[in-house]
This record gives sequence, C-alpha cells and structure tokens, in this order.
Amino acid sequence: MPPHESQLMPQGLKYFLTRFIGALITMLVGTIVVFFVMKAAPGDPALVVLGDFATPETIARFNSDQGLDQPELIQYFNWLSGIVHFDFGQSLSVSKGEDIGDLIAYRLPSTFIIGIYALTIAICLSLILGTLAATKRGTLVDTGATSLAVLGVSMPDFWLGYMLILGLSIGLGWFPSYGFVRPSASVIGALHSGFLPALAIAAPMAAVFTRTLRTSLIENLDRDHVRVALSFGHTGRFIFLHHVFRNSIIPYIVVIGLQIRYLLGGVVIIERIFGINGIGSLMVEAAFARDYYVVQACAVVFLGVVLTVNFAVDLICASLDPRRAR
Amino acid sequence: MKFSALIKNRTALAGTIITCIFLLAVVFGPMISPWASGGFDFLNVLKPPSWQHPFGTDSLGRDVATRVLEGARISLMISVSGVLGAMILGITAGLFAGYKGGWFDAIVMRIVDLFFAFPAFVLALFLMVALGFGVTNVALAIMLVYLPLFARITRNTTGIVRNDAYVQAARVMGQSTPRILFREILPNISAPILVQASVAVAFGIVIESGLSFIGLGVQPPTPSLGVIMADGQEYFRRAPWVLTLTGLTVTVALLALNLLGDGLRDLADPRLKARDA
Repeated sequence: MPPHESQLMPQGLKYFLTRFIGALITMLVGTIVVFFVMKAAPGDPALVVLGDFATPETIARFNSDQGLDQPELIQYFNWLSGIVHFDFGQSLSVSKGEDIGDLIAYRLPSTFIIGIYALTIAICLSLILGTLAATKRGTLVDTGATSLAVLGVSMPDFWLGYMLILGLSIGLGWFPSYGFVRPSASVIGALHSGFLPALAIAAPMAAVFTRTLRTSLIENLDRDHVRVALSFGHTGRFIFLHHVFRNSIIPYIVVIGLQIRYLLGGVVIIERIFGINGIGSLMVEAAFARDYYVVQACAVVFLGVVLTVNFAVDLICASLDPRRAR
Repeated sequence: MKFSALIKNRTALAGTIITCIFLLAVVFGPMISPWASGGFDFLNVLKPPSWQHPFGTDSLGRDVATRVLEGARISLMISVSGVLGAMILGITAGLFAGYKGGWFDAIVMRIVDLFFAFPAFVLALFLMVALGFGVTNVALAIMLVYLPLFARITRNTTGIVRNDAYVQAARVMGQSTPRILFREILPNISAPILVQASVAVAFGIVIESGLSFIGLGVQPPTPSLGVIMADGQEYFRRAPWVLTLTGLTVTVALLALNLLGDGLRDLADPRLKARDA
C-alpha cells in the first residue's frame, strides 16, 4: 500500500482543506484590518452625510441609527455578519442611501469582463512572444521580445492608456476613447469598447508572463530528458509540446495567479480613465466622496477576489504536479 | 558584487548610466534651467515642443521640461523614502523571523500573506483614504505596500543561511543575536534585497504617479510627476505633449531602474546569466 493511503485523509483533500482554511483566516484577518484601519481614519461618517453644520442632536441620532454608538467590537461583528450575506450596509455619499451590495453587484460584471479580457490578451501575447524568444534564443527575435517585455513593465498603465487613446482613438478613430458597452447590451460592442482599456492593463502583465515563460522554457529545453527524447528521434514539435511546454507551464500559471493583484490594481485606475462603471472606479469615486463604507466594501471584495484566485491557482498547480500537494 | 563586474554586464551598465543621467538631471536640471519654477507666461500658453521649450508649455505657460525635472525630484524622493522605510522595517522583521523561527515567524508571515492578498494599488488607495492625501502619506502608503515584500525576501534568504558555517562560528564565539543578524547575515543576503530595492523604487514612482494622477495622492501646487500628468490629462486633446512627454520620461526612468535590477540579479546569481545567455 502506498504510504499516503495509510493516513486518515488523502493528501489531496488535506491540501485542499489546509489551503481553504488558510484563505479563510486571511480573509477574516483582512476584514479586521480593513474595519479598524477605517475606524482609526480621520473623518466622521455622520459629518459626511449631514454636512459640517450638523447639530450634535442630529449627529447623535445618525450614530444611533447606524449603530455607531455601540462598542467597536460589536460594530465589527455586525458588519462582518452582514458581509457573509453580501450586505455591506448603505452608501453614505457616493450613491446616498443605496445598498452597497447592490452597487457592487451592478458594478462587478464590468470589472470581471475587462479583467478577463485583459488576462486573455496578456496570455495570448506572452505565449507567442515567450515561445518565440525561448526557441530562437540569442537571435534578433529573442532580443526584440525581451526588450519589448522590459519596456512593457516600465510603462505606467494609465499613461499607456492615454497613448492608446491618442493613437488608436483620436488618431485613427478605430476605438472609442470613453465608455464601455455592457455585454448584456452587445457582446461585440463590449469587445470593441473594452479593447483599449484591456490592452492597457494587459501590456505590463504580458511582459511579466513573457519573461517567466521564456526563462522556464529555456530551463526545460536544457534538461536531460529532452536530450534523450531528441536521441530517440522524436520531432522538435512533439518534444516541445510534450516534454518542454508541459513542464514549463506550472511556473507560468503561478505567475498568472500572482499577477491578479496587479491586474486588479490596474483595473482601478484604467476604469477611471476610460469611464468604465466597474468596482475600481466605484472605489475611487467613494474615496473622493469620503464614503468610508463603500471604500471598505470595495477593499473587502478585492481581497476576496484575490484570495479566491490564489486558491484556484494552488489547486490547478497541485493537480498538474501532485508533488506540490505533499 | 564588484564594480568591475557591474561594468562588464551590459544590462546593468545601461541601467546604471541612464539612472545616473536621470539623477543628475533631476538634481541639477531645475537649477540650470532658464525657466524658473512657477514662472507663469500667459503669452505662451500650451505651446508645442520647440528648441526653447523641449517639452512645450502648460496651460499657465510654464516650461513643462523644468516642471518634469522638479516633479521627478519630488516623486523620486517620495518613492525612495517609502522604499527605505519599507526596507528598514521589513528587513529587520524578516531577519528576526527567518533566524528565530517559531511563533514570531508565524505571525510575521501571516501578516505578510495578508498584505500580499491586497492588490498593491488598492492597498495604497485604501491607505490614502485612511491616512489622508499629501506627500508624507503617499510615502507612508508606498512603505506599507513594500514592507511585506522585503520582510518575505529577507526571511526566506535568512532561513537558507542561518545554519551556514560562518553563522555557527559567530554563534559559538558568543556574538549577540542582533550582531549576528546585521553584521554576519545581512551582508551575505544583501544581493536579492538590492535587486528588489531598485525595482521597488521604480514601482514606487508608478504608485505615486498613479495616486496623484487620479487626484488622491500629492496635491497641487506641489509638482509631482503624477500631478503634472493629471494636469496634462485635462487638456490632453488640445496639448497632448504635456501628458505624453511626462509619461515618456517616467517610462525611461523606470526602464533604467528595471534594467539595473535585471543586471544586479544576473550579477547576484551568475547561474541565471549563464542560462539566459
């Protein structure tokens, strides 16, 4: 009997549970940090809503309505139990009185679509450039792809966004410079209007993916088993797909998972520039309007998305290479 | 890491030269520029680039090139002070966590994991709302974004070398823990930290300019690169050169810092170089 079967729980399940509980704890600690940092922030929600000339009585009434007169720990648990039901309370100023959960539910799809669009562009670009660079190592193609990758990580995404507007929108008139057609209205319209923002977010990510794939492919091209396969007379294409690419894909997926953080960071500023009604632009609007509840809620949602993606990446990698789950 | 090795590595050399030129321009440029800071010239509003004004003029007739150099000075100062703060705290925490292990390590790494789960820009934005806008708070936000990164790298590398012969020797000689950490271990693990530092300064500039660009960072009239670009964004269609050339300057500076980081990485780990060559 293999050693792992003698244990109470299969390795895979144990790995799944450890990761899941780890993510859950991080999420919980994250909500504590978000809540109490916001509490410590200068500024008073009552003044945001009632204005600077509010009387002490109206402020006291607001605080008791909102439960802000209770001990902070109780406030935290109330807030947390709301989050579990996707209830983040009501917006203070950015969309006064509206349910924050509804606001986020309305805004989230646009962000997801732009994010997935950007990720798809980045993956396609990097697969082409990374493979070309690794297989034509040391040639002009390699130098070109590597230089493009360094340039890609060096351009601030919001500036690239404006350069794309200047060239492809104002200059050539191929794409709109502002606004996003929701896919529920028109899928082609969404792809068309989302192309420039997605490309601006994708460029730095594509650069990082390309570099990772290139290094990883080169590492595996030099391995002994590739030489053995060559000596067996397998074709280059077969060896590349079955022996090199398969082994190189794990670091690539890990890096894609890590880059989700940058993707979401990029989304915030790019949504603002291109006038996309997503959760990133919601967070910026709320920051301007000092809508603490909405900022808090957005931070928690971003945290949740990153943790979910990281969890998924861990599982994918473990299923591709079971040694990781031990 | 020797200076001669730095010169032989072409990537590192290019990065070093451009970084040095950039630093010289930022330090001395505003002094020798004929266009004094804040000098309005309403007869020369939004003029395109010319020999007189290489980056053109802005909506108040100011020389954009001079402003970019002044702004770069502020942005660089913000980023460097943020990264330095992150290095001091992160390295200290990482050294103790990696060397001591146990519950301290567990707590530090949990906190690091938590910070890593936030998108950097979202974290910075959140901190700006909590701390308030302005130069000092942008630096503080950059520090908090990069602190976990330095803590993690230092902790991981310390864990690798903590039982090396020279550390054991220092322990047997009865040296104090802080002395072992800062005099024996830190010099030996400084290479990967330095690589990260150059890249962190580059991204610190991106965070500063991003926050200021959307109006949540440095506030005008203080000219940071982000503030100048935000200004240029307002009349982008009429005078695209302000935003375009300012951003181009940022890109060149980041390119130099990234090349420097790449070069340092190759020097720190010759194995990578041999593999990439």
